[in-house]
Amino acid sequence: MFSQKSNTGPVKNPSHNVVLPFYIYAALAFAVSTALLFTSSGYFSQHYFQPKILAITHTMALGWGTMIILGSSYQLLPVLIERKLYSNILAHLSFLFAGIGIPMLVCGFYTFNMRWPAQYGALLIDVAIILYLVNVVASFAKSKQENIHALFMLTAGIWLFITILIGSLLVYNFTYNFLPKDSLHYLSLHAHLGIAGWFLLLVMGVGTRLIPMFLVSGYNNKKILWWMYGLTNAGLISFAFSFLYFPSKHIYLIDVSFIAIAVLLFVYYCRKAYLTRIRRQTDAQMKVSLLAVIMMVVPLLFLVAIISILMFTATDINLVTAYGFTIFFGWLTAIILGMTFKTLPFIIWNKTYHARAGLGRTPNPKDLFSAGLFNGMALCYLTGFVCFVFGIMTVNPLALKGGAALLICCAFLYNANVAKLIFHKPGRYENSNK
Amino acid sequence: MKTQTNDNMKCATALGGLREVLDPELSLNVVDLGLIYQLNFEERSKEILVIMTLSTPFCPMGDSIVNSVKNNLTAGFPGYDVQVSLTFDPPWSYQMITKEGLNFLNR
Repeated sequence: MFSQKSNTGPVKNPSHNVVLPFYIYAALAFAVSTALLFTSSGYFSQHYFQPKILAITHTMALGWGTMIILGSSYQLLPVLIERKLYSNILAHLSFLFAGIGIPMLVCGFYTFNMRWPAQYGALLIDVAIILYLVNVVASFAKSKQENIHALFMLTAGIWLFITILIGSLLVYNFTYNFLPKDSLHYLSLHAHLGIAGWFLLLVMGVGTRLIPMFLVSGYNNKKILWWMYGLTNAGLISFAFSFLYFPSKHIYLIDVSFIAIAVLLFVYYCRKAYLTRIRRQTDAQMKVSLLAVIMMVVPLLFLVAIISILMFTATDINLVTAYGFTIFFGWLTAIILGMTFKTLPFIIWNKTYHARAGLGRTPNPKDLFSAGLFNGMALCYLTGFVCFVFGIMTVNPLALKGGAALLICCAFLYNANVAKLIFHKPGRYENSNK
Repeated sequence: MKTQTNDNMKCATALGGLREVLDPELSLNVVDLGLIYQLNFEERSKEILVIMTLSTPFCPMGDSIVNSVKNNLTAGFPGYDVQVSLTFDPPWSYQMITKEGLNFLNR
């Protein structure tokens, strides 16, 4: 009745040695970002194109968002394509190159020295992303399994590559001035391909797999997934072409509408998964992750307001700053905060208890981190986020400082909990439970 | 889904023991989760043959869950050789969770 595959057990996922460095790096980058946010909070009431804000944005986008996504992609891709990761060595190398390149680029922005540290930093990041993409494409090519979630991941990787390529050109353009216009002009193209092409597409593709899985919901709607995929890519391609060849605010609104519909479909998908869940109780990590899904609507509202105002008058600087902030410190951070403690405990549990499983009492993965620290982190995050956005919109230095201070607390608690996981020892657990 | 066995007391004891092997995320045991498709005792060769599945072929916890099943049966039945085979035909789905499992998740 049952066809037997083998008696050797399931094929191994990438070792924790591949994935953990990305998580650790990202946690530290988040702490650095919030510290920079605190020391530079005053700049958030001025124009967004300036060294300190560029440094913070890139620490968040590359050091925090991209590093943790690269690491979790190496863990998740084999699950999605039902095949081994093509190369662990390429994964290690991508960490090495990105890990060195990111601080060089960020230092370049911070001091606004766009010569060698920033240029070599950008090159190293390019190499890291090429290695990542080669690994994803090669793994994907070997797979016989058709999987739309993996296709989201692959396409997001391609958009990431285009984004960092444009970013590198902009870095070199500061010195060699070879592009038809200055780097500021192309900033919007670079930023939006990265935000919607890399982060949004990947979060939607992986989220539609992980959120129903963690909620224990059988909800699955391929048609909606294909619409989300098509609309996001159509919006991005249309935006790139209109930006380069026939810039028009009206076309931008159409592009935004495409992507907005994709986001709303994602929200709808997650809501359906939540409503059809088998497990009634939703843990704090999933609550934060689901809140992140709702928070995706906030920057969209800012974007529609920015384009609408732009049709009649000049750009509203505060709105643009708030828009960027509600992406990097908004939904992107919220979903990472939630999902870190849904994925990392399992990696650590597997590393520690794999051989001892079934031989006696072992803790659950959720027991490996502190629920109290997590709740404190979530509270600091939400209050800090709201406070800082309020500070940007009202140009209130006290709210900006207070919001940044709360976000530092959030990053500290996040790092403390990640450290608790990373340094978990089985003996310590057993002793503490005696 | 009910686990198929060659219906003897030992199988019932073994399944009882496997109810202590929990899925780390759900805290639900592998029997009520519907992962154990078949469990048989071969008395002549002193073997316990288990055919089981995972929620997905590349389940990150798959190796640990298979190890748990093996370790649990080895500890519970010394002298028997435990053979665990994986199958993904039929693939696991939420419909395979037993009534007891659903009640546990619905708490």
